[in-house]
Amino acid sequence: MENWLYELTGFVLTILLAFTVGMFYGGLRRKVIARAQNRIGPPVYQNFLDLLKLQGKTTNIHHGVMSHLAPVWVIVAATASLLFIPVLHGGLWFPNLTFKGDLIFLLYLMVFGSLGMALGVGESGNPNGAIGVSRGLSLMVGYEIPFVLSLVAVMLQFHTTSLTDLMHYQQLTGHWIALENPFAFLSALFAVLGMFHYSPFDIIGAPAELASGPMSEFGGKYLGSLMTGGSIFAFVKLVLITDIFLGGAGHPELYTGLAGVLIGLGELILKTFLLYMIPVSIGIVMPRFRTEQAVRFFWKWPLAFGITGIIWGLYHQINF
Amino acid sequence: MELMIFFLIITAGTLITFFIDDISRKLTGYAAFLTILTGIVYYASIPMGTVWQMHLLGFDLKWMRSPAGDFFAWIVLGLGLLSLMYAIKYMEGKARLGYFYAAFLVSLGAMTGVTISRDIVSLFIFWEIMTWSSFLLAIYKAYYGVETKGIKYILFSSMGAYAMLTAIVFIVHYYHTTDLNTLWQAGAFGFSRHWFIPAFMLFGFAVKAAVMPFHVWAPGVYTRTPMAYTSVFSGAMSKMGIFGMLLIVAGLSRLDIGWIRFILGWAGGITAALATLQAVRQNDAKDLLAYSSIAQLGYIVTALSTGTRMGLMAALYLAVLHAAFKGALFLVAGAVEKQAGTTDFREVSGLIVRMPWTFFTALISVIALAGVPPLGGFVGKWLVYESLITETHSYFLVIVIFFASTAAFLYAYRFLFGLFLGQQEHNTEDVHEASWWMLVPMLVLSLVSILTGVFPGLVFKPAAKALSDLHLPSDGWQMSILHNAWNNGVDTITVGSTIVILFLLTAAFITLKGRKNTRRTGTKDISTSGEIPQPDDNLNFQSGFFQPFERAIGKPYRWSMDRIWTDIGTSLAAFFRFLRKIYTGNAQTYVFYVIVFLIILLLFRKQIF
Repeated sequence: MENWLYELTGFVLTILLAFTVGMFYGGLRRKVIARAQNRIGPPVYQNFLDLLKLQGKTTNIHHGVMSHLAPVWVIVAATASLLFIPVLHGGLWFPNLTFKGDLIFLLYLMVFGSLGMALGVGESGNPNGAIGVSRGLSLMVGYEIPFVLSLVAVMLQFHTTSLTDLMHYQQLTGHWIALENPFAFLSALFAVLGMFHYSPFDIIGAPAELASGPMSEFGGKYLGSLMTGGSIFAFVKLVLITDIFLGGAGHPELYTGLAGVLIGLGELILKTFLLYMIPVSIGIVMPRFRTEQAVRFFWKWPLAFGITGIIWGLYHQINF
Repeated sequence: MELMIFFLIITAGTLITFFIDDISRKLTGYAAFLTILTGIVYYASIPMGTVWQMHLLGFDLKWMRSPAGDFFAWIVLGLGLLSLMYAIKYMEGKARLGYFYAAFLVSLGAMTGVTISRDIVSLFIFWEIMTWSSFLLAIYKAYYGVETKGIKYILFSSMGAYAMLTAIVFIVHYYHTTDLNTLWQAGAFGFSRHWFIPAFMLFGFAVKAAVMPFHVWAPGVYTRTPMAYTSVFSGAMSKMGIFGMLLIVAGLSRLDIGWIRFILGWAGGITAALATLQAVRQNDAKDLLAYSSIAQLGYIVTALSTGTRMGLMAALYLAVLHAAFKGALFLVAGAVEKQAGTTDFREVSGLIVRMPWTFFTALISVIALAGVPPLGGFVGKWLVYESLITETHSYFLVIVIFFASTAAFLYAYRFLFGLFLGQQEHNTEDVHEASWWMLVPMLVLSLVSILTGVFPGLVFKPAAKALSDLHLPSDGWQMSILHNAWNNGVDTITVGSTIVILFLLTAAFITLKGRKNTRRTGTKDISTSGEIPQPDDNLNFQSGFFQPFERAIGKPYRWSMDRIWTDIGTSLAAFFRFLRKIYTGNAQTYVFYVIVFLIILLLFRKQIF
């Protein structure tokens, strides 16, 4: 019974953490973009206000079952993958379900949300939404390739497909995998640019072309829930990359207890924030690609880095 | 003897079905359904290991109910039963029902025969009956274009058959036996002994499994056969090719597996990638599914080629799953075709409100096809990747496979969007849900996809038995925990229950919150930048749906295996035309050749003799 309660607390706290951090990151992004454009910009907590407003809307419109369930898929995919990803190094934070699934599984779990949402968008019958979905799926084929290449490179280098093992190695030796296999890291970074759909890869929402595309038929509680799911998912992606390549966060060998958790979370937020600023700052200065350019982009340098990463991994295999 | 009785039941049922059509056209479908039901009940009662032997024309024919054959026999019989049940209503009112059901039953019997054959001669005989009966079904709809597609099918099948026959001749020549057990022990299927024996056999099997470059018959035939049979065609008959390849792999030594891994592995990978790309740009649900079938068979072939514990399991697992989800999807396409008149994405859309149960089947099957957890397809995909990464270390092949299955999301979405989502236009207003005789088989098949996702052990258990029957690695499979060679894994019960619980919670939240103020609107009531769509405005976005993706891919879309085969055919024709100038068919020319030959002999007799 206590064990059950402990696990449930872990789930809830992890999701709350991801939600809060993700929402703040969204606000920060708006602030950073505003400052880069010499505006004051909205406050950092603006996303929370938006969410409150959206959830408080009196009328909500949907176009059928799939359209009604669209935000559900997004939230389920985000929270489920969050539970399978270790937040901090062993013992500092709740283990959740980190031992129950490996990297390949996570890869597939993470596409679940966008596919489910695409179905909802499809049912609304809005042609702009459908165009957005077509673009989004094409882009996904683009960035998943370098991402998988980098993951395969890391897997073969360390002879494991488990995220916890990779974190464990980095914790033991203090070496970041980003430095152990720099090419794989580079290729993963490119993939992250695509995953966040910011400029120059903002072809899906593209306000001027598609009237915000897939999002255009969602309002009120639906848009609010999509926002929630999206924020959690942003955090998930950042934590995943941090865990694989940037050594994770926390120092259970030095600090334990509450101090350990706070220091760990601080480290995690610092690392994920810096990582998050990469797609954001590139997004500020870049114009938008056309769809085929965006897809092809990932099959040029990122692909080359990924293949180099695999070869690098083959020659620097580490058994720990 | 029991095995013979099984075939007698099927034969008798076939004859009854064929002639009952003259008495009452309504009874034909039920007769076929009852025949296969009787056959299944009888087959299940045959004890495992039952052998039947016969000496025929100097060959020892040997049939046996073995776990390995049984595994595939149940795919055939199970899918056959469901498809026949579906066919009762699907084929209602169509012409030549006796012909259709008789050929259907014969092909089911022949496929079961392939699985119980324990010598290569009876395997070949059943193989040919299977090809022939499926050809009859492929040309059932005799409208324009069907003849050429059917001929393409029978041509490729005969090429495969001749190759197999050649291999059999060589086997008898070198080993003086046709018994599979003896041949395995003698290592007859190894590349190091006589490489052409496995090569010719594999060619024959690869044609049936539609592996590139021998796939060109498949799209045309899959789309032109009545959908009730296409689900068997793609779901079960293509698996016979896999079964054959499994027989070859079972007879391979450690040394030989390297060759198979390379050739079959990449053949499967390239098949998967290129067929997926083709599926993405189809505008008709049937064409899309046909190419998708070829691609899925590519994964199975790749998985099989590894010859390792996880790879082989992946192949067998995907064989079952592909039968379930692709069988269901072809039935869905058939249901839409029957109810709405066409499966062209540009003509029908928004059927979700008209055919909700069909949509549900399609949704489940498509999720399984895409390999998204927690449904069955994911387990198969996971096993393929993990076996390629952790067991055979084919890191680049895994990327090709991954590309194929990511691009598969595109056509998976297109299938659902094209038929069921999108604008609900006037032309689909009078479409109704299919009959329950058609829905039940589809729902049963989607249940398979759901159950195997959470309890993959349901398939692992018989598959492991089948593998150990063939002396292939088969140990350590659990009900719901997957492990790879590096001892990392996935717990499918945890995954399934987490997703279901989260889904229920979130769905409850979004449904209950502000329920009174939530309303549903039609698909014309959408945001279109201030312009109000009129009821007759067609807002469907269907043509060139993935055009940007096609542009991004570029060159591979201009490749065409069909064209290459046509070119080969044309050049052969030119060559034969040239030969015709020598062999003119005119007796005088031949007399002239004889005289010239005699003159040469006379002139040079000293040098020659």
